[in-house]
Amino acid sequence: MTHESAVRNAWAPVASPGWTVTVARPTDAGQSAVFDGHDDSALVAAAVAGQRDAFDAIVERHRRTVYQVCYRFANNHEDASDLSQEAFVRAWRGLHSFKGQSALSTWLYRIAVNVCLNRVSAKLPAVDSIEPGDQFEDTRTEGAQATLLREERAAAVRRAIAALPKKQRATLILRAYHELPHQQIADILGSSVGATKANFFHALANLKKLLGNKP
Amino acid sequence: MTHLTDHELADALDRALDPSRQAHLDKCESCRRQLAELEATLNTVSSVEVPEPSPLYWQQLAARVRTAIDAEPTVAASWREWLRWPVLAPVAALVLTVMALGVALPRERTVVSEVAVAEPVEPSVDDRFAIVADLVGDLDWETAVSAGLTVAPGTADQAILELSAIEQQELRRLLHTELTRVKS
Repeated sequence: MTHESAVRNAWAPVASPGWTVTVARPTDAGQSAVFDGHDDSALVAAAVAGQRDAFDAIVERHRRTVYQVCYRFANNHEDASDLSQEAFVRAWRGLHSFKGQSALSTWLYRIAVNVCLNRVSAKLPAVDSIEPGDQFEDTRTEGAQATLLREERAAAVRRAIAALPKKQRATLILRAYHELPHQQIADILGSSVGATKANFFHALANLKKLLGNKP
Repeated sequence: MTHLTDHELADALDRALDPSRQAHLDKCESCRRQLAELEATLNTVSSVEVPEPSPLYWQQLAARVRTAIDAEPTVAASWREWLRWPVLAPVAALVLTVMALGVALPRERTVVSEVAVAEPVEPSVDDRFAIVADLVGDLDWETAVSAGLTVAPGTADQAILELSAIEQQELRRLLHTELTRVKS
């Protein structure tokens, strides 16, 4: 299904009879679509050779992952967005030095984590406030009380993670949320597998203490 | 036998514990309890999700990255890119010309002002979208109407504006669901 038909279908249940819903794709949208079949190394080579669209394709392919890493550190959309932008700009600057010794995703993870660790302070994070309509979750079947409780618990977890030492926090985020193997986390953080496992264990042990019996 | 180490407990969480140590875990209540507590904490932590931004946000982020890169002072290409004859030949010719002029012309102190000529750049659709998104981000409907904004009947724009808050929320949810389905 194309995006156009997806959007048209999404409209159907809310459009009144007689409404005309026109869905048009911008004429020069999706310039990076020409790189759809390219693997990451081909995209890097093309971008280094000066093809900006190739880097756009890299951004398009990895933006969600980078944003999610950044959000885990920043705990709010605005900072996560700034950090994501900075991570990609740094990636662009250093692209010519990327030799393909690790996967592009590993390299981007490393950049994003470093940007986050350098920029995000250990103070309590500015957790996004919960505004009605901010999120797309379907809460119709969930009572308001339960939603509030769930959000409070999530905020407590985020605060506890923010209080962890940097390496423990990074390891926990990459392992628990991105489900990366310890070896890849070690590559990203420039540490050994043993240190990664120890950091993961200590992160969980510290979180258990910080969260008390709340879970 | 000694209890599981930190590393071994991490392995046990991944169901990757060495079989010889698994035998200990099966028998040791203390290690099993510790593992269960770690698992419970991990489950609690893992259940906290990143709020999904608007589907339109991803284009905005891409546009922001592009704009930021355009503002970079240097091109991020390798300096080896310059070591190509199509580039070197005119550069070499220019250098030789300047050297020749330097020898031929009388030495006078002249001030040459540098004029940067910026060619107009047509913004991409993503750039335009980012600009529009920035402009309308904080604009409410009443302000827009008082500023003279009108919407032609029969367009999707009008449809959005006529929806109630609940309908708009439902629309966003449906759009998000559809776009996520397409992406996956």
